Amino acid sequence: MLPTPYVKCDYETVYEPSEDSFLLLDCLEHEQEYLASRFRDGLSVVCELGPGSGIVTTFMMQNGIPARGSSMYFAVDISPWALEATDDTVRRNKCHGTYLDAVQCDLASCLKPREVDLLVFNPPYVPAEHVPEIPNAADDHSTWLDLALLGGENGMVITEKLLLQLETVLSKKGVAYILFCARNRPEEVANRMKATYSWDVELIIHRKAGWEVLSVYRFSRKTANHS
Amino acid sequence: MKFLTTNFLKCSVKACDGSNDNFPLQYDGEKCTLQQNNDIEFNAEFLTNILDRVDWDAILTVAADLGNNSLPREKPVLGTNGDLTEDDLAVLRDLHTLLICTSIVEGQMQCKNCGHIYYIKNGIPNLLLPPHLA
Repeated sequence: MLPTPYVKCDYETVYEPSEDSFLLLDCLEHEQEYLASRFRDGLSVVCELGPGSGIVTTFMMQNGIPARGSSMYFAVDISPWALEATDDTVRRNKCHGTYLDAVQCDLASCLKPREVDLLVFNPPYVPAEHVPEIPNAADDHSTWLDLALLGGENGMVITEKLLLQLETVLSKKGVAYILFCARNRPEEVANRMKATYSWDVELIIHRKAGWEVLSVYRFSRKTANHS
Repeated sequence: MKFLTTNFLKCSVKACDGSNDNFPLQYDGEKCTLQQNNDIEFNAEFLTNILDRVDWDAILTVAADLGNNSLPREKPVLGTNGDLTEDDLAVLRDLHTLLICTSIVEGQMQCKNCGHIYYIKNGIPNLLLPPHLA
């Protein structure tokens, strides 16, 4: 079993690592060999959207996922607190000798197209009446935290936005891991992405967490030739 | 933010996606504060992979924005037989210093298409848009 990063953040402002975060870590551990072989040549550009505490990005850096010594990492979050926390967690786990930059942005809209090889996203997936607006002030702590959780109708408003960007964001051999809860109806999403956009979509891992069932799906281009 | 990251950032405004001027962003050399940092050790293979991948013209443009006009016009080509020569290593070391050790800690940059200005504070670029542009 791979080591889990040590995390100590202010959970008034950033999402505390929970079952969903740990499911993503287990998913990446399970996928480690697949990713190492898929990205064995050249540079790998890794992007985590919504890193929160930074536990997932730190885990990838610590364990050389997808490729040790040839990966660079971007942590992209809408919240300034999450970016600060991610940097802190990376340092706490002595991973600052690996290339990481934190970028404040709404999803991937500032990334040059077709550059991301490995994308990881634990979205705000909790169904809610609406997605909160971005606060004007950095010290509006509870709204920043709500932004990390609340996903609007079916909890899918933010994830749908990202799914629409996926084609533009991922490199030719790019692959994305996205976390869902059962109320997001991930199977329907997977079928639609397969049918409408010709993606390969695979359920990698799922787990019951309290009364919720969480799952991680892997998205990649069907036509990608990565041999 | 490290210099190399400029090779991956474009304007966030959706309407600029149809333009060729939304990348790279134009860095304001007067207002950018640079810092050298040696956290990341030199790794020839990593640098070779980066060199393979980068948009060299964008590297040249941003370097010039920041007052560095000393880079070769063409992307350097390394020894072709697999072994790196002393000269290759010198090139890679220079690139390591520029692309990875050089950070912009404070400053601003602008989209050449729409003119929107983005800021870098505490080493973190902010590419969020105000509500009327998002």
